[in-house]
Amino acid sequence: MPSEALLSVRGVTKRFGGLTALYDVSFDVAPGEIFGVIGPNGAGKTTLFSCLVGAQTPTSGEIRFRGERLNGLSTNAAVRRGLVRTHQIVRPFRDMTVEENVSIGAHFGAGKRRGADARRRVADVLGRMGLSARAGALAGTLPIGDLKRLEIARALATEPACLCLDEVMGGLNPAEIGAAMTLVSEIRASGVTVLMIEHHIHAVAGVTDRVLVLNFGEKIAEGPPHDVLKDPAVVTAYIGDDEEAAS
Amino acid sequence: MRRLPLATGAALAIFTLAAPLFLERGTLNDVWNLAFAVILASAWNILGGFAGQVSLGYSVFLGIGAYTTVLLSLKGVNPFWTLPLGAVLAVLFSVLIGLPAFRLRGPYFTIATIGVGEAVRVTAASASFTGGSSGLRMPAGSFDFTINYEAMAVLAIVTVAVAAWVKRSAFGHALAAIRQDIDAAEALGVGSTRFKLAAHALSAALVALAGSLYAINFQYIAPGSVFDFRLSLSIVLMPIVGGVGTVAGPVLGAIVFSTLQIKLLAIPALRDSYLFIYGALLILVMLYEPRGLFGLARRLASRLRRRPAPPPEATRAL
Repeated sequence: MPSEALLSVRGVTKRFGGLTALYDVSFDVAPGEIFGVIGPNGAGKTTLFSCLVGAQTPTSGEIRFRGERLNGLSTNAAVRRGLVRTHQIVRPFRDMTVEENVSIGAHFGAGKRRGADARRRVADVLGRMGLSARAGALAGTLPIGDLKRLEIARALATEPACLCLDEVMGGLNPAEIGAAMTLVSEIRASGVTVLMIEHHIHAVAGVTDRVLVLNFGEKIAEGPPHDVLKDPAVVTAYIGDDEEAAS
Repeated sequence: MRRLPLATGAALAIFTLAAPLFLERGTLNDVWNLAFAVILASAWNILGGFAGQVSLGYSVFLGIGAYTTVLLSLKGVNPFWTLPLGAVLAVLFSVLIGLPAFRLRGPYFTIATIGVGEAVRVTAASASFTGGSSGLRMPAGSFDFTINYEAMAVLAIVTVAVAAWVKRSAFGHALAAIRQDIDAAEALGVGSTRFKLAAHALSAALVALAGSLYAINFQYIAPGSVFDFRLSLSIVLMPIVGGVGTVAGPVLGAIVFSTLQIKLLAIPALRDSYLFIYGALLILVMLYEPRGLFGLARRLASRLRRRPAPPPEATRAL
């Protein structure tokens, strides 16, 4: 599988001064997969994410996307190569309409569309994300649920090969988590590989093909979610987080 | 309703171009000053307003245009042919300062541009080829004010048209994204440094062209006039007072600013306190109407239009 991996992470270590946030993490994400990265607070999930999408450069190790080395490449360059992220705390352009927000992704992402071609892409993405009725509204006036969908819509408009979702399930109620899981499956069905980072194991278990568990910056388990959940090391890591420990 | 700004702009453009036919020289001079102010304010607004990168070093580009024109004219080059070269030099210099300065954000970028501006002024005042602090005089020769006036008017119209085009283009949307959230823009593929450099270069070229025409008109330049920090300050004040980030705002700001300047300079007691008045104006705008006079006008217009119906704000005012 490594030879055909879409995203390949090899021995990635990230240190901030004396603190090792990530230590020797390796994994592969295959095309068409939904891959989850989970772990308790402070496990290094966000650091890993930042290393993948360019905001941080790993201290050592290598990240390859479609065979090309990504280390040190800027965020915008990674996006134009088809690797895009969303933000856990949504970051809409508040003075722009929903449509304009999404068109930034269509214009400057991997698709680099212009004019009518870009407008078609924007309309298509807005339709898929259930935001068509909001197209003309200023992003700053939207409720949080719509803003979360806008965050994903903008990323999809860049036409990524791999979409990295940063805790999209965070703060959702069970019904909304169900809807979000359906959405993630639909995104994969449209041909986009998904890498999702989540704090809550069970939110990811139902939708991912494989998960990687991080604890104190190290990989402690990797595999199909239901096997990983039974792993004693994973159970131990989550003790103290009462919701997860109860299961 | 959408055609109104275009019609107003066209009327202003025709009036400005035709002004030499019916205005006397003194008034024409005031309109020349106004066109000059419109260019500086609108060009600065491309980087400062659209992309939100507040530079206090724009006199540098004005000076580059002015000095290029005077130095080459002294070597016998026709002054008008020096304009494109001044613009090219300003573009190169804008990239040279932009590459390091755009790594800084917000107020740190602004402080860096003040430093660059002052460094350039001091260098120009101490170098020998620039004539030092006593400045340079254009070679004696024929100078036609009407031609200079028309060139300045055309440049002002072109600058406003370019600003209007940028605002609607994909380029302008990228700049707006950078202004609102640079990290989110990067995360959607916007190469923020490239776009900031492009906006900087475009506005630098326009300001340098105005600087060349300024030098030809006044026939004399010195570091204390074209590289003056107060000039950089005025360039920022105009768009902010008029309405930063809009197309009409900087034009409105330039009209108010140059009118005030003419009136204030005529009163001996106020000659030295005009910066105090601008400062007060700036504070008033920032406190009560951050969108400037243009924003205020738009708010009043929408209130007037809604007057017949009961105002929906009544409930929101709580």
